[in-house]
Amino acid sequence: MVHKRIELPQGTLDLLILRTLALEPQHGWAISERIHQISSDVLLIQQGSLYPALHRLERRGWVKAKWGTSENNRRAKYYELTKTGRKQLELEKDTWNKLAAAVAQILETA
Amino acid sequence: MFSDLLFRLRSLFRRDAVESEADSELRFHFDQQVEKYLKSGLTREEAMRRARLEFGGHEQLKEEIRDARGVNLIETLFQDIRYGLRILGRTPVISCVAVLSLALGIGANTAIFSLIDSVMLRMLPVANPEELVQLRILNPQRPSGEGNPTFTNPLWEEVRNLQSVFSGVFAWSSTQFDLAQGGAVNEANGTYVSGDYFSTLGVRPVAGRLLSESDDQRGCVGEAVLSYGFWQEHFGGAASAVGSAITLNNHKFEVIGVAAPGFYGVEVGSKFDVVIPICAAALFDGARSRLDQRSWGWLSVMGRVKPGISSAQLTARLNVISPQIFLAVPPPNWEPKDQENFKKRVLVVTPAATGTTYLRREFQQPLDILMAVVGLVLLIACANIASLMLARAAARHKEIAVRSAMGASRGRLIRQLLTECVLLSAAGAFLGVFFARWGSSLLVRYISTRNNNISLDLSFDWRTLTFTGAVAVFTGLLFGVLPAFRSTRVSLTSAMKGSQATDTESRAKFRPGKWIVASQVALSLVLLVASGLFLRSLVKLVTLDAGFDRNNVLLVYANLQTAKVPVEQQSAMFDEIERRLRATPGVLSAGRSIITPVSGQIWNNFLEVDMPNPPTGEDAVANFNYISPGYFETLRAPLLAGRDFNESDTKTSAQVAVVTESLAKRFFPNVNPVGKVFRSHPETGKTALPIEVVGLVKDAKYESLREENSVTAFFPITQVPEHSEAQSFELRTAMRPSALILPVQDAVASVSKAIPLEFGTLAQQVNDSLVQERLLATLSTFFGALALLLAMIGLYGALSYMVAQRQPEFGIRMALGAPRGSILRLVMRDVIVVLAGGLAAGACLALATVGVLQKMLFGLAPHDTFTFVAAIGVLSAVSVVAGYLPARRAMRVDPIVALRYE
Repeated sequence: MVHKRIELPQGTLDLLILRTLALEPQHGWAISERIHQISSDVLLIQQGSLYPALHRLERRGWVKAKWGTSENNRRAKYYELTKTGRKQLELEKDTWNKLAAAVAQILETA
Repeated sequence: MFSDLLFRLRSLFRRDAVESEADSELRFHFDQQVEKYLKSGLTREEAMRRARLEFGGHEQLKEEIRDARGVNLIETLFQDIRYGLRILGRTPVISCVAVLSLALGIGANTAIFSLIDSVMLRMLPVANPEELVQLRILNPQRPSGEGNPTFTNPLWEEVRNLQSVFSGVFAWSSTQFDLAQGGAVNEANGTYVSGDYFSTLGVRPVAGRLLSESDDQRGCVGEAVLSYGFWQEHFGGAASAVGSAITLNNHKFEVIGVAAPGFYGVEVGSKFDVVIPICAAALFDGARSRLDQRSWGWLSVMGRVKPGISSAQLTARLNVISPQIFLAVPPPNWEPKDQENFKKRVLVVTPAATGTTYLRREFQQPLDILMAVVGLVLLIACANIASLMLARAAARHKEIAVRSAMGASRGRLIRQLLTECVLLSAAGAFLGVFFARWGSSLLVRYISTRNNNISLDLSFDWRTLTFTGAVAVFTGLLFGVLPAFRSTRVSLTSAMKGSQATDTESRAKFRPGKWIVASQVALSLVLLVASGLFLRSLVKLVTLDAGFDRNNVLLVYANLQTAKVPVEQQSAMFDEIERRLRATPGVLSAGRSIITPVSGQIWNNFLEVDMPNPPTGEDAVANFNYISPGYFETLRAPLLAGRDFNESDTKTSAQVAVVTESLAKRFFPNVNPVGKVFRSHPETGKTALPIEVVGLVKDAKYESLREENSVTAFFPITQVPEHSEAQSFELRTAMRPSALILPVQDAVASVSKAIPLEFGTLAQQVNDSLVQERLLATLSTFFGALALLLAMIGLYGALSYMVAQRQPEFGIRMALGAPRGSILRLVMRDVIVVLAGGLAAGACLALATVGVLQKMLFGLAPHDTFTFVAAIGVLSAVSVVAGYLPARRAMRVDPIVALRYE
């Protein structure tokens, strides 16, 4: 099985994680699954980048973690967006949109 | 920021919990993934395999999580320290040598710096010292310079009464008091102070009360304040001390209080025992009280500037009041022209937050030079440790290769190696602080003389500790950076192959070692040249013909004023004492004089002669001394022409003089001075009588051994213009001079028991005048030798290492038939190249820098060829020996043994 993978630009992973968590608290595996599904199998987040990113976000205080029970009744670590995390999400979304619009404009007109 | 730190700390201290949380989190993810693959129809085995593949290295991921949590920075530091300690402990001898040489280097730097700190930089231990300024008198005829700090009492009284810029102003004068009542002097450090002294400085009493304005009034009775130390020492800290009496120069004083501990006055380097008010000077002076003398300067003045007054306002105010002050108190015995100039003088101030001290003038330059010297020693020690680290890094070649193969980044490895270095230097600094404590107090004792017992607060303050810390970190990085960077640049394959380094590689590895050793040689040469120059200067001064024989001469200083002998009887009593001393068993000959040689005291005046082109200005000044007929004989100063003084030279007989060769050459060039006549500059209103030269003596040093010409005129002591209450006796003996002290005391006591006597030897007095020179010579020689030793250890170590590295190569050469001698030549060629490079660089460096030593040298130029040649010779000889030992080992390599390793 070969995945058609696109490398994420620097810093985008944080944005995707924050956005995914904006709906509801999730554990790591579910976050990667959701990104995978929503992006129509284009984006596959490696554990090697996902978990360091989650812990980094936790250190910055944008998400907080607590232990809960998963759908199949196992102990899992759930991440939840904090207030500053929500603000950060808005900020980064805004920046991303501007960036994307600018890049698109250049691609179309230049 | 703060929560970030808490988070990191939680991660650090609840490490096990966090660790297992991460484990189960990753485990959960793994299981979910496996389950997902199972659901898609894979076998369990296949699902596990694929999940594991995706997952990558479990430990590596955990390491990255730790990094993300910010644990690593702190934790790896502890790891590095633990590991570093283990590594250092594995080679205890090398580590000890490194720590010890660092401790010596850092300790020496700290010791010198703490002296500089306490002499130059430290604030006085009084309230708000930064507000204090010292008053000085600026002479408009000599506008450069910071002004003369010496005030007369009438001048001080004007300042006190007229000033409006200081919230407090006080005068003081340091002196010595005799606590004994006759006989051997029991000296105490005394200070005359004005009434506002303690209140302006903000000093409090620990017992009784301190002097105040009402205690410092004309006609005061004797009241004294003790220092805390003196109170403890002489009264055991008893409260009954207040109200008791002490004797100062044969006058009774009542103790009214004790000053707070830690207060030593405003003169750095000295401490007081007793303080008495300025008005009490009249008790000692009798009729000619210095309180009213307008030409007797003896006071220093300090003020505390009122808050809110800028330095411009201060200057302006002082400029306004200066004319009033100086107009009021011109010295009446001055020429009218000089009096006019006196009235134009102006008061100026200099900052006095750090107090005042003659030590600054005298020791600033020696201390600066010593600071540079110990700095160089530390550099050489650093270089040694750097080459040690290089060698050890080479030995750890394989370890480093393994670690980087396991995924350690280069930065991580460098950090590890630097941590080891900083550990070494921290240990060195810690030990060095103890060396410094001991060293700096030793130094202070070394520069203390009989007359100047220096007492400094050497406790380490923040400045010294910061200095030591900075030096430690700096040295650690200095000797660590190069080895750390070099040794982490490893080629994995060759390291893993486990072979010895190839020939070219080992040569390349030795290259930085060569540089280090060459720079050590260069720095050592600079130090050796400097110490050689100081040593030669000192030897020249000590062995120089002073014009008198300083050995076996006891000096006895007697003061008849303190003994309360009436003025008109003093002269006869001195004569009587001299007669009895001459008859004392053990005394070969005795003399008497106003001034003793090289005592630092001066009496001089202008001379006028009736010769064509007489000397003018400063050239016309000659040193004066008044002596008894036994003086020249006792000092063994040879009379070259004419006659010595004798009994017929009395107060009323014709005025005569004996002059030195230098005086004769200057005032009576090309003629026989005996029989010629000169006059000394008269006091106003008096006519100068002609003085006939009756004898000529060889030059004898008067003020200091460094003086070039000793232009001195000797006069009979009977012809002293005014009476002199203090005179010195010179006694020559065949015994130890100190053995004469008791018989002399008995002899003087038979004349009067009330006479205070001070004893010293002429040799000691001459020695004490060379404190600076001896300090520089001793310390620079000590550090020069230390530098040489360190450099030689460096050379030896670097060569031994190189020989060990090239052992297989030597083996092959020998197996192929190279004679042993050629191997020796091969190694020694390296030694010669390094030595020559180092010497050339060192010589250039020394030539460029020794110029600054000029002022401290005597009798030789900074570029003294002999010193340079000798330093280069010593360094070369020792280097060749240090290099020969490893070279010989190379020569003795057994080809079979060497090749077996290949």
